[in-house]
Amino acid sequence: MHTSLAMNPLLIPEAYIIGAQPLCSQLVGLSQGQKKLCQLYQDHMQYIGEGAKTGIRECQYQFRHRRWNCSTVDNSSVFGRVMQIGSRETAFTYAISAAGVVNAVSRACREGELSSCGCSRAARPKDLPRDWLWGGCGDNLNYGYRFSKEFVDAREREKSYAKGSFESARLMMNLHNNEAGRRTVSDLAHVSCKCHGVSGSCSLKTCWLQLADFRKVGETLKEKYDSAASMKLNSRGKLVQRDSKFNPPTSHDLVYIESSPDYCLSNQSTGSLGTVGRLCNKTSEGMDGCELMCCGRGYDQYKAQIVERCHCKFHWCCYVKCKRCTKTVDQFVCK
Amino acid sequence: MDTCYRNDSGTTCFLYSQDHQNVGLTGREPLVFLPAPFSNEPPTGKVHLKQCEQMTLARRQKRLCRREPGLAETLRESVRLSLLECRYQFRNERWNCSLDGRGSLLKRGFKETAFLLAVSSAALSHALAKACSSGRMERCTCDDSPGIQHREAWQWGVCGDNLKYSTKFLKKFLGQKRVSKDLRAQIDSHNINVGIRAVKSGLKTTCKCHGVSGSCAVRTCWKQLSPFHDTGRLLKFRYDTALRVLSVTNAATGETELAGPRRHGQSHRSTDLVFLEDSPSFCRPSRYSPGTAGRSCAKDTSCQSLCCGRGYNTAMHLTTLSCHCQVRWCCHVECQTCVREEEVYTCKNT
Repeated sequence: MHTSLAMNPLLIPEAYIIGAQPLCSQLVGLSQGQKKLCQLYQDHMQYIGEGAKTGIRECQYQFRHRRWNCSTVDNSSVFGRVMQIGSRETAFTYAISAAGVVNAVSRACREGELSSCGCSRAARPKDLPRDWLWGGCGDNLNYGYRFSKEFVDAREREKSYAKGSFESARLMMNLHNNEAGRRTVSDLAHVSCKCHGVSGSCSLKTCWLQLADFRKVGETLKEKYDSAASMKLNSRGKLVQRDSKFNPPTSHDLVYIESSPDYCLSNQSTGSLGTVGRLCNKTSEGMDGCELMCCGRGYDQYKAQIVERCHCKFHWCCYVKCKRCTKTVDQFVCK
Repeated sequence: MDTCYRNDSGTTCFLYSQDHQNVGLTGREPLVFLPAPFSNEPPTGKVHLKQCEQMTLARRQKRLCRREPGLAETLRESVRLSLLECRYQFRNERWNCSLDGRGSLLKRGFKETAFLLAVSSAALSHALAKACSSGRMERCTCDDSPGIQHREAWQWGVCGDNLKYSTKFLKKFLGQKRVSKDLRAQIDSHNINVGIRAVKSGLKTTCKCHGVSGSCAVRTCWKQLSPFHDTGRLLKFRYDTALRVLSVTNAATGETELAGPRRHGQSHRSTDLVFLEDSPSFCRPSRYSPGTAGRSCAKDTSCQSLCCGRGYNTAMHLTTLSCHCQVRWCCHVECQTCVREEEVYTCKNT
């Protein structure tokens, strides 16, 4: 799914024409089950693509300071070969893509773009105060969750592998991580209210369910990435923890089966682009500091011209006008 | 210059100086049985001679050790003090002052080497001053600086920490009179002085009022060293603000002196720690440190930097602590022990 949908709208500009839908057979990278679902739900495909793109953007934001920065290998495949190893980074990409799809489809339902769903019909939460109204038009989390589960997991479910094989481990890992991504979105959804009483007072309040900002979902999944659990196959063909003294992962945690490669050097088979040419921060002690980012190879120093807005003034009424200033800064690039 | 010799605990090397300035640092001393804090009896008889032989000291230092019965215990106490303080101050850093790789670390000119030298000399100075005032040394007693009369001090029972003797003795012991022109020796000597100065800056005058009905009409004052934790904290601050230097020949006098990038108009002050080269990141196991795998960290604060991006494992740990404490008459406190499960985070190793 990831290989084509996220880049599709770029290559098929007809997708932007109102009413035209991408033909399911033209989309590369969908599995058989997904192609069938595509034909059934043609109007959803655009939002699935948007959701995957949101996921990639968030992934690149969260990993911007690390050696592996979620970059795409080339234009045709979004995550490229990183997905071939069952590492922590793969776990994160699966989770954030599934979360992105839930997000996009739920929002699309709310906005009335999809014919098969509408506003959220979630039950009124029990702890809501009595005199607040429950209604409004909330994001249809329920539908988004179910659709994402059916569509994204279709690819994993249609294949069956021998029990105890590496592929079956990978399949279980993918399913678990997709679920973790979806559950994160559903956990972070919250009740949002609007006051509309007499002259805007809060004597009358209407509340509805709203999805959290996707940045928060990204941050939560990044924390899960840091505490992800390392798993292996046991003799019965199930995924169990490699080291039993650590806490077992819940359905909200990410799991992985192989350790990450060293992303320092470019390597075709692991999909790592290496850190040559990455910007690093000379004063930082963290992963984006020049010592760790450049893996001890050293760095070059350049002076770069940066153009930015300055001397901004508010004019009546009602715009802000800024001038452009150039300034020279030192930039450090890994060798 | 390195001199190595074999003894029964392995090969011991004295590093980079004939003057053996780094007592207790090489990590090959028998620290496995760290001596407990002092017992209150003064040393008797010839026990200290054997202790002096066991430690790895130079000939001159051994002579000083034999002359002074209380010195052996004081040396061991200072080693213990410096190790504990170093581990405490660096508990949240990637290099946590472990003994593995200490030897290789001392051969280079990192910031960590500077700190180790400063904290060892500060601990030695502190321990010596305290030993003098506690009566454990034969050749020195309480502080007798002008303004405090000896007899009056003993009458009222106060005894100031004798830092003056401690500093003088250290100069003899560490052989700082003859500093060679070698850059490393100069830097090491400078850092040792930073340690001694840090202890000196913690010397405070404490007074006790005992006039009519507790008024301060009559006062007794004495000099007291601040607790070693404060000195340790000060040295950690100096470590954080340490300056990198290189050797520069003074055109006027023809001597080499240390100079570095200018900050606040001077190259470095006598209270700054100086170092020669940038430290490695202590993330992976190397000859300088065992790496950060398996280190325990706090989820929200230190795990990110300690684990170097590798992530952490969560485990449940049973801890016992005292709870439901009550005062019983008279006069002790009775507590129950509660067992609590809490999450413990350790850094992953890949």
